[in-house]
Amino acid sequence: MELMFAGLALGGLYALLAMGLTLQYGVARILNLAYGIFVIAAAFGAYVAKVQLGISPIVALLFSLPLGFGLGWALYSLLLLPLVRRTRAGPQLDIDSLLATFGLMFVIEGALLWIFGGNFYSYSYLSHPVYIAGTPVEANRLVVILVALALTLLLHVGMNRTRLGLAVRAVEVDPATAVLAGIDARTISALVFGVGGAVVAVSGVIISMFLPFSVSMATEFLMKALLVVVMGGLGSISGCLLAGMTLGFGETIVARFIDPGLTLAVNFGLFIVVLSVRPAGIFGRTV
Amino acid sequence: MLDVSGLSVSYGMHVALAEAVLKVDRGEVVVLLGANGAGKSSLIKALAGLVRYVTGAHIRLGATDLTRLAPHQIVGAGLACVPEGRGVFGSLSVRENLTLGAYSATDHVRFRDRNELVLALFPKLKMRLRQSVQTMSGGEQQMVAIGRALMSGPVILLLDEPSLGLSPAASDELFAAIRRIADLGTGVLMVEQNARRSFAIADRAYLLENGAIVRSGNVNTFLDDRVLIRAYLGGD
Repeated sequence: MELMFAGLALGGLYALLAMGLTLQYGVARILNLAYGIFVIAAAFGAYVAKVQLGISPIVALLFSLPLGFGLGWALYSLLLLPLVRRTRAGPQLDIDSLLATFGLMFVIEGALLWIFGGNFYSYSYLSHPVYIAGTPVEANRLVVILVALALTLLLHVGMNRTRLGLAVRAVEVDPATAVLAGIDARTISALVFGVGGAVVAVSGVIISMFLPFSVSMATEFLMKALLVVVMGGLGSISGCLLAGMTLGFGETIVARFIDPGLTLAVNFGLFIVVLSVRPAGIFGRTV
Repeated sequence: MLDVSGLSVSYGMHVALAEAVLKVDRGEVVVLLGANGAGKSSLIKALAGLVRYVTGAHIRLGATDLTRLAPHQIVGAGLACVPEGRGVFGSLSVRENLTLGAYSATDHVRFRDRNELVLALFPKLKMRLRQSVQTMSGGEQQMVAIGRALMSGPVILLLDEPSLGLSPAASDELFAAIRRIADLGTGVLMVEQNARRSFAIADRAYLLENGAIVRSGNVNTFLDDRVLIRAYLGGD
């Protein structure tokens, strides 16, 4: 039981992390290498809010949504849109946007290192146990699980049941035809970067609630998110949930019963198994 | 309604279209005739805003100056386009494709009317609304593509090689539907390799040679010309 909740929390976090990236990469077709460092920046934001300003992480969570959306939207509109215009969304855009977001990653990483240094940070919040069917579960893990599931559901419904979501999927499937249907791919891309930013901010705040974090973990989070995105199938929200849970449970089980040092090996092991069976990911489309 | 003049397209040094002048009204089918590379597709793409054209062109749809609009705004202004090679969202369902076609129009009452119109034109689609478009035949995909374009409620519909790759039976069905679309009030401008079939439903035609419109007029005047018939309609 306890193992199940640990797996659910970690899996939920991975799924959440991947959802923002799968939208940005799948729809706007830009791989945002600064993704991981934004997650860590949000975690530090929640830390400062809790420890120095006395703001509850739950309140921070609510504020992080519009703030993250605004930052993501601005990132696309100010930094990436000029590149999209210049390259006319051609192959050169891949290289230019990789370099731009890679550079941005170093800028933010440098700033965070300068302010906070390289140590691990954590705070205690809702760490008392709640008993579910007689099993003690830390309350903050329940928050993580609930938030991850709620956001997954929200994004899934938004993508599959709304007019705007349909337009987002149209851009993902075929940007050239989307234009013919009267959809502005750039507005949709900016929107998707905003939603990705909101997801990043929420992920960061959630991480700060139950895991010790440091600046150096940014790359790990980027890599895990990328792993889950590719495993789940690019652009698929349900794929993120399934692949995220697979990794979360895989890691938890191996760390508990074999050795915590094997988690990365488990990640890539699962990755290879899934991709050898389904090369386009669990819910991936072969184009 | 659609009023074009001075429309030129160049790719580097190559002039694909030079100073094109044409007109399409509501309710008529106009065919663009010409050999490969004559500039037919460039003309269609320029009108839809998909290729850049030399500045100074005059493209008006009614009172709207289309040269000032971005490609995605041109649809909303009343000019819809089905490019060569379909223009459908392959992994989405028929219903989703049609819904997306109406993205630029937000009027729900008219949405229902148009949806009914499209399904009346292409009754085959009615049974397949949930089917993913990429699993359908070429003829059915072309119906979805045209249906998608009609969902925006266009004044003028541009079709680039709609019968390409279709069986003779599917082509006949398609051309009959195109005639009905025009009779219901939409102007159709189409590029067609299959000149003989398209002339059967067309009102007027333009002939393009090396990027220039060299002849225009009623289809009957084209059919009277033996040289033209041999060159573009095959046989005599």
